[in-house]
Amino acid sequence: MHKIYQITAIALFTAFLLFTELFSFQSASAAGISIDAGLTPAENRWIFRSQVRYMQRDNDQLGSQREMKAYMFPVVIAYGLRSDLTVMARQAFIRREMSMMGQSTTNSGLGDLLMLSKYRLIRINTPGYTLGVAPTLGLEFPTGKDEFTSSSYDLHFGSFFSGRLRSLGMDLNITYIWNGMAETGGAAVDPGNEFSLQAAFAYQVGIGSYSNFALAPVLESSYLKISADSEDGETLADTGESILWLSPGFKITWSSFIFESLVQFPVWQDQEGLQTERDPTFLVGIRLMN
Amino acid sequence: MKNFIIVSALFTASVFLFITMIACGSSQKNISDTSYEESEVRIYEVYGMDCPGCHGGLENLVNKVPGVKSSRANWEKQSLQVVLDSENDVDDQSIYEAIKKANFTPGERLQ
Repeated sequence: MHKIYQITAIALFTAFLLFTELFSFQSASAAGISIDAGLTPAENRWIFRSQVRYMQRDNDQLGSQREMKAYMFPVVIAYGLRSDLTVMARQAFIRREMSMMGQSTTNSGLGDLLMLSKYRLIRINTPGYTLGVAPTLGLEFPTGKDEFTSSSYDLHFGSFFSGRLRSLGMDLNITYIWNGMAETGGAAVDPGNEFSLQAAFAYQVGIGSYSNFALAPVLESSYLKISADSEDGETLADTGESILWLSPGFKITWSSFIFESLVQFPVWQDQEGLQTERDPTFLVGIRLMN
Repeated sequence: MKNFIIVSALFTASVFLFITMIACGSSQKNISDTSYEESEVRIYEVYGMDCPGCHGGLENLVNKVPGVKSSRANWEKQSLQVVLDSENDVDDQSIYEAIKKANFTPGERLQ
């Protein structure tokens, strides 16, 4: 019977996403809180994860008042195929407003579909600590709307490391995205590859006598390097960037629900050529597990 | 920024709706509702749980073991309480296998 409630809840949440589409705002990119990434879920376990991300770019170095505001609604569904193998699918809805010299255009639609697998390479559980290492391999399909697709099959690979020392959690995620691994011919520009490194710390504080409620302050640091785009083998000017974020946030876990929020402050960024700069990114999200 | 606050508020409202809906559903398998009469209760040590979110995956797998009526995990105490149907003879090994499938490590049986 409880499955009916869960299905109803997911249906209502989907309705919420559609509602926000009708409500109309702007658009975006990227991942979220990286806690637990190295710990694979139980066999046969479903995890539903969704977020609202808001990002903005301005401070145009070209002086043409370029600005971009973007919302992203990524939805991830993960399933523990075996205790050592997790499969995931990620689909994002994006809404983006770009303006220049007072003129603005708004686009919205689905981004590319990402299929990802995660393998439990190491999992050590002891009374004092837990350690998990899980490499990932995935493929991003060019299924998105014209404005948001890379028009190529992009290879994602990386590794997640998670350590737990009693209530203290430490996570390290390394990801590389080979954009344009296989072109579909839909775009002349070959987007640059991406390298990201995330380190996260969290401290779980149990609340209540039944141990089904916990609050965890989170501090993440993320580095992202996007190589310059190219066309016909020539590197394009004003593309490519390096950013370092420092991100305080929190995670609330109640039984099979997680509510999380984070603000990513760009503490350092190097934009190639004359580009706009990134402002802080705001994120709220939930995870629902069976 | 104003739009983000509005969307976040809607999102948060949907979260609470979510929680309410699921709480209604999950309350049915709450071990506290289970009658212990004519039941055997065992407690096992379980290592590797780090938050309440770990409970569900473990309990689902343990509950599938034939003869198990219900179970409740506790990440802080690193323990799992299992209520068994007294008519079935459930061996510890079946429980240990379920714990391992949940990616945790069984310790000693405490009770």
